[in-house]
Amino acid sequence: MSDKNYLPWWRLDNAAKIFPSTSSAHDSKVFRFFCELKEDVDPAALQAALDKTMEMFPIYRCVLRRGWFWYYLEESPLPALTRPDELPPCFPIYPSPQRSLLFRVLHYRRRISLEIYHVLSDGAGALDFLRVLVYEYLCIRHPEDELSVNRVPVLGISDWQKETDSFQKYYEKPARRLASSPPAYQIPGNRLPKNQLSILEGSIPVKELLACARARGVTITELLTAVLLCSIYEGMSVRSRKRPVVVTVPVNLRNYFPSFSSRNFFAIIHVSYDFSRSDASLEAVLAEVKREFQERLAVDKLKAHVDSLCALEHNLPIRIVPLPVKDLVLRAANRIAAQAATVSFSNVGKLTMPEGFEKYIRQFGVLTCAGCLQACSVSFGDDFVITFASPYRSRETERVFFQELSRLGLAVTLTTNMNEEDDENAVL
Amino acid sequence: MLFCEQCGVHVRGSLQRCPLCQSPLSGQKEENAYPALPPAKKPLRLILRLAALATVVVAVTCCAINFSLPKTGWWSVFVLAGLASTWLVLGVTVRKRGSPMKAIVWQLVTISAVTFAWDLCTGFAGWSLDFVLPIFIPCAQLAAVIVALALSMRPAEYLFCLSVCILSGLIPLVLLLCGVVGVIYPSVICVGISLVALAGVLLFKGKELRDDAVRRMHL
Repeated sequence: MSDKNYLPWWRLDNAAKIFPSTSSAHDSKVFRFFCELKEDVDPAALQAALDKTMEMFPIYRCVLRRGWFWYYLEESPLPALTRPDELPPCFPIYPSPQRSLLFRVLHYRRRISLEIYHVLSDGAGALDFLRVLVYEYLCIRHPEDELSVNRVPVLGISDWQKETDSFQKYYEKPARRLASSPPAYQIPGNRLPKNQLSILEGSIPVKELLACARARGVTITELLTAVLLCSIYEGMSVRSRKRPVVVTVPVNLRNYFPSFSSRNFFAIIHVSYDFSRSDASLEAVLAEVKREFQERLAVDKLKAHVDSLCALEHNLPIRIVPLPVKDLVLRAANRIAAQAATVSFSNVGKLTMPEGFEKYIRQFGVLTCAGCLQACSVSFGDDFVITFASPYRSRETERVFFQELSRLGLAVTLTTNMNEEDDENAVL
Repeated sequence: MLFCEQCGVHVRGSLQRCPLCQSPLSGQKEENAYPALPPAKKPLRLILRLAALATVVVAVTCCAINFSLPKTGWWSVFVLAGLASTWLVLGVTVRKRGSPMKAIVWQLVTISAVTFAWDLCTGFAGWSLDFVLPIFIPCAQLAAVIVALALSMRPAEYLFCLSVCILSGLIPLVLLLCGVVGVIYPSVICVGISLVALAGVLLFKGKELRDDAVRRMHL
């Protein structure tokens, strides 16, 4: 069946279509998953594991190219190489002077990091890749344990299922147009120099966090969203309180529409709270957040939202606009959309590895680069890791957030990339 | 592990002060989870800045001398135009340094346009259309073939740019038919080479060219 002259290529999915136009040095649209082992990473074994993993994810072997009307993915012979973690976190992958694959695998001491350009995949898709990578790595490093008798995390999912565009599969022409949102409160403050990201990871025991959320009758995502809203409120000046604080929450659509795609398949919901009209106590915010989540996460609401976004790319007049014009329009649209959000919080959820692997893995974590403050979280074993990535020098939101969690009785362990020497450099 | 009494949080790494409240930490230091990053080196940027500064010095000096000696004519305009042309071509090359095929096409376009502009502004003797364009186009075609072979590119990587170079070889044909060309031999040779090259591409890489067009122009 294989034709030597045929070059596989893929259209971008609906969510990916906006990313190439809007990626820049300070908003690279790159996100990072890391897996911290209990032992130092062996680069040679990691490379061997990556080679095996690549066989299972053909769509990861591709580069991004400009067409006349849309960007597209094209298969590439470029080798997938692991490298030491020497670039700033979430360093831009596209555009770059050299054509490259749309992800990188990095290692530093005990950590294996996977950085992915959002065009290629969303969090859930990337996690499939990282889990297989860690699986293969540990099988190579510990052959005596016979770990490989356990299932590969993505076994039984065909290549076609992995590369399918689920947006297309579930699209129906919507009746309603997209509604615009009012401008949201923006966290003020100076940015770090050289587009650096300040990263603060907080690790919390899952059991404690779950108990804390259950005691209030809410989910972990709802609890953390409410605490985040309250922490932002602490930093607001009185006159800026007339604007709502808006948290954008990406929702994994695979939980609502069956899909095994390792590409993008998510929607974003806005959870907002108006502190000028309502009480600023955690209980009041929690009640409102819970109500909003239940309202926005209704399947028909999600479907209508996704359909209205997909309708844009199915609109013929929009499709025939040349790409350079689309770039300009999408950039403007991205700026307007950014005005409607204060902060972003993405809970990737619970992550599992096959039996026998837990004893080698300390924790998983995720972070993403964006123009504004971003929180991402993932849980593995008994570790819930929430990571803040911020382009700002001030860390007041994070301070109030973690102090509040500590006050709620949760044991928080922090890790940061901003060491003191870096702080001194940042002042200069 | 380190501990902050004020915030009630544990801290990993080798920090002196709490990342939240900056108060001193107690406890045992560990290794950092993130590497300390060396400052990024950008030698190209420094060279370009130095070159830009040198350009400004030359331009200002020439204008100053020309202004002081008005009887020598307005020669500084040519100096400025020359510097601007050089920077235009250089800028295109630097911007497209990652993809040599694109760099060739962009150089072809900018150099042709710049020489035509010079010809036009210096009394239109026709040398840009008689000689520069028909000689430069086959050179670009040859360069594209050499780059494609040297980097053992796949058809998808070179076909589009090569086709642009080949098709631009038909511009002298249009000029010939319009009668704007004075010395016709370079143009005739250029058109001949381009037609043969076009036939070669269509015969040997026609399917790949079609596939490439489908990818590039999908709606």
